Amino acid sequence: MVISAATILGRSISRRVVASTLVCAAPLALVSSVSLAQQAPPLKIGVILPLSGNFTPAGEDALTGLRIYFDQINNEVAGRKIQLIVEDEQGRPDVALTKARKLVEGDKVQILTGFVSSAVALAVNDYAREKKIPMVVSADGGANELTTPGPLSNPYLVRTSQNGRTPSAAAAEFVFKQGWRKVAAITSDYAGGFDTIGGFAQAFCKLGGSITQEQYPPLTTNDYGPYVTNIKRDADAVVTFLPGANGLKFANQFIELGVKDKMPLMDIFGQIAYEPYLTQLGANGVGIYSVLHYTPMIKTPENERFVKEYVARAKRLPSDNGPDAWVGAKAIAEAAKAVGGKVEDTEKFLAAFKALKFDSPKGPIAFDKFGQVIHSMYIRKVEKVGNDYVNTPIQTFNNVDQFWPFSLEEFESYKYRYVDLKGSMTDCKKVLEKK
Amino acid sequence: MIWVIHTLNGISFGILLFLLAAGLSLIYGLMKILNLTHGSYYLVGAYIGSTVIATTGSFILALIIAPIVVAALGAVMERFFLRQFHLDELPQTLLTFGFLFIFADLSLWIWGGDPIMLPKPALFSRSIDIGGLGYPTYRLLLIGVGLLVALILWWFQERTRVGAMLRAGVDDAEIARAMGIDVSLLFTLVFAVGALLAALGGVLGGPIIGAGPGTDFDVMLLAFVVVIVGGLGSLRGALVGGLVVGLLDNFGKIFFPEFALFTIFVPMAVILSFRPTGLFGRA
Amino acid sequence: MRRYSLVILLAIAIFAALPYVLPTYYLSLTTKILIFVLFAMSLDLLIGYTGLASLGHAAFFGFGGYVVGLLVVRGQVSEWIALPAGVALATALGALFAVLALRARGSYFLMITLALAQVVWGIAFGWRTLTGGDDGLPGVKRPTFIVSLADENSFYYFVLLMVGLSALALVAIVRSPFGHALRGIRESETRMLALGFNVWRHQFAAFVISAAFAGLAGCLFVYNTRFVSPDVLHVVRSAEVLIMVILGGVGTLLGPAIGAAVIILLEDFVSSLTQRWLLILGIVYVVTTLFAPRGLVGLYRDYFSRNRKR
Repeated sequence: MVISAATILGRSISRRVVASTLVCAAPLALVSSVSLAQQAPPLKIGVILPLSGNFTPAGEDALTGLRIYFDQINNEVAGRKIQLIVEDEQGRPDVALTKARKLVEGDKVQILTGFVSSAVALAVNDYAREKKIPMVVSADGGANELTTPGPLSNPYLVRTSQNGRTPSAAAAEFVFKQGWRKVAAITSDYAGGFDTIGGFAQAFCKLGGSITQEQYPPLTTNDYGPYVTNIKRDADAVVTFLPGANGLKFANQFIELGVKDKMPLMDIFGQIAYEPYLTQLGANGVGIYSVLHYTPMIKTPENERFVKEYVARAKRLPSDNGPDAWVGAKAIAEAAKAVGGKVEDTEKFLAAFKALKFDSPKGPIAFDKFGQVIHSMYIRKVEKVGNDYVNTPIQTFNNVDQFWPFSLEEFESYKYRYVDLKGSMTDCKKVLEKK
Repeated sequence: MIWVIHTLNGISFGILLFLLAAGLSLIYGLMKILNLTHGSYYLVGAYIGSTVIATTGSFILALIIAPIVVAALGAVMERFFLRQFHLDELPQTLLTFGFLFIFADLSLWIWGGDPIMLPKPALFSRSIDIGGLGYPTYRLLLIGVGLLVALILWWFQERTRVGAMLRAGVDDAEIARAMGIDVSLLFTLVFAVGALLAALGGVLGGPIIGAGPGTDFDVMLLAFVVVIVGGLGSLRGALVGGLVVGLLDNFGKIFFPEFALFTIFVPMAVILSFRPTGLFGRA
Repeated sequence: MRRYSLVILLAIAIFAALPYVLPTYYLSLTTKILIFVLFAMSLDLLIGYTGLASLGHAAFFGFGGYVVGLLVVRGQVSEWIALPAGVALATALGALFAVLALRARGSYFLMITLALAQVVWGIAFGWRTLTGGDDGLPGVKRPTFIVSLADENSFYYFVLLMVGLSALALVAIVRSPFGHALRGIRESETRMLALGFNVWRHQFAAFVISAAFAGLAGCLFVYNTRFVSPDVLHVVRSAEVLIMVILGGVGTLLGPAIGAAVIILLEDFVSSLTQRWLLILGIVYVVTTLFAPRGLVGLYRDYFSRNRKR
């Protein structure tokens, strides 16, 4: 209460006075929250998601997942009302930073969450670190560097969604086990693409397989005809990572040019086997393999309840952003509960966050010391169930941490970063070269 | 044999580019409007087409309904908004940019943000065999339809009364008016036809490049590149420009995959440096 | 003239007082607005005074920004070198583009500037080992020019100073004989040729000066966000600044400044209120065109000249 009064007065009185009031007011407010639980100030959470532009569906999915959990606990935790303040970052890093400043300095939120694009997450990362604001990445923002030791690592950042490389490692395990030793790779030409295919190459080479062809179509490719025509037909399988509309455009050409009938397709991150696309692909999509840390077909009570609620709200099946954001919301609430609602004690709150363990729609959840989620990877196959085309899980890897199947030490012993391997992923010796 | 396929890929993409660019070029030729809403006509056309196919199951019906609806939208834009800013470039830019936003957001509202691909007509969903490699018949259909459209447009422009008026209007609108040609009606008509062509491109291109948030902007840029390379206001330029850009883009991506991002804009910059008004443009 | 100097003094006083009045968030928003004011004014020199509408101005804005970002992050170079280098290289890029683009006119000029800008965007996006690709380049530290500009207040004053000086320079340029010659060229190239002016050289100079100020704006922008990604070079940004200039009123310098402020404030407020902000922005553009085809400043002038006539 005191805090908000000071903020309102802040316009007329000198800033320095406001600052000192805040310093005095903060502990006061915390004390009162214990004795007068009902009057505790609300827990303000700033949500930064793309709600216009190309990434809109991902943003809306994440928002739905987030709201499902907070509504489930009546938007209240540890005696504090939860207040969500949602801002549209338009898929643009500078807008995201402006919005983050608005949320933190204007609305005085205690936590930032959301983040679909890596560039947006990286742009806000510096600011959150400087302001010591907990930043809960709970959507697609998958840049590996955010949670690995290095110049970008941020002690105030935790992530409940996947990083760039783990689904790739699971894909490599599965592909190798099928007896497919030589694969042709087609990956979008951007940061996320190199993280994904680099992760695949590293794990696949270690197992003894190899990539025999690399193709990198730009994200702005309209016609996938040339790339599909160009696929070397002597490979055992085709491995792809083509986000957004690219997956759908590629799949159509892949089917139409008749390559799908001849070669198996492994779609890392389920960008082609994305639920809304499956209805569009229809019978043509049956048989596509994909890897993701989720599928709505997981048969657990947690997931069945989640899917029912999700379908009721969004009128469609969830993909990964919904459950990731749900996990983010639950983790925020559980960690807040663990510190008795005192999320303002950032260090304690984050320590409690990283110590959490619970079951979720996407399986059992834990966190590593860097704040990256430890969750499950699902190998999925498109099948027809009733009248619907769905991703049936055919193999599950549990407790997958961000360096899996390597240890941190082994992961760090490799000489080349994934981006440096672009163009030489076919050379396993270079891929596996140690420092 | 693979080169036959690559060439066919390039030609079919080029023909599609022609469909996207022809309307833009036509409108510019007569009214000197650089219409930033052109890509939106494609987008709305593709979306309406998808709705028609989803409800009736007929591709042919989509090919008829979507272009007509979008042509009506175009006519309204010309009659009630653009009309008063004849030959006034900057207000035209602001206005058409505003409509770009409006159409984009309304489409997002109505059809959601997930990208869609239009289903192909059942007759043309198979591949034929070309030297051991499959080639989709839909792309051959696209080439055929595109050439047919080009032929009809040529006939319309060169052999009909309205076409004659159009040519007179392109040469000099004032003199055309003095000769008793209803330039006002002609403007609306041509604008509607331009929008119609873009929407036709939306339905025909829907199974290949699809539609989604941002497609409007991409298509607008592609159409601009084609008409600039071919020369603004020239139908022949749009056809040749489309084929040149389609083939260069296709082979550029095969021979210089590292420079795939530049296969469209570098050739354009080079062509413009040597011919500042495009291949068939008039100064 | 005395009325003007009074207005200017008042403006300086207001801007100088802002950090003591505005909450920090609104101050950082003001900083962003000032940067775009400079960007829009730089483009107005080209469109409004020279008659060359460019759809590739983000190239200079973004290139300046990338030079600063790369020198600071990759090169650990002092800000005393990085900032001037950013402006200088953006200017050089302007000279190169001018040579290529000035052959074309009208819509062709619009498109060739767009194409050249797309090439720069493609390089920033594709040369990942240098630029960080689409992930961008985080960690661009705020500079220290005698005093540290790390906090919002001092950085605001720095931007205010830079934009203020640039605005004065731009006003001086358009009022100089050179500026008058530019306007003459905008009205009729052939007449100016006949009068013995070297039209090409004037246009070239205007293009390069415009690129220099756009580059400066880009450097400030990157220092402000402490992050640079290909987004700063994107054609949408070029279109956005073009719209700022037209919305405000071309050929007035003040108009584009107002246009920049209006669009950034609108985007910020409306997008916080509703998800349908793009629709509202589109309607605002259409309505503005219908009621103020000469831009906001044009509307104001029309209104006053009409009243005076009565």
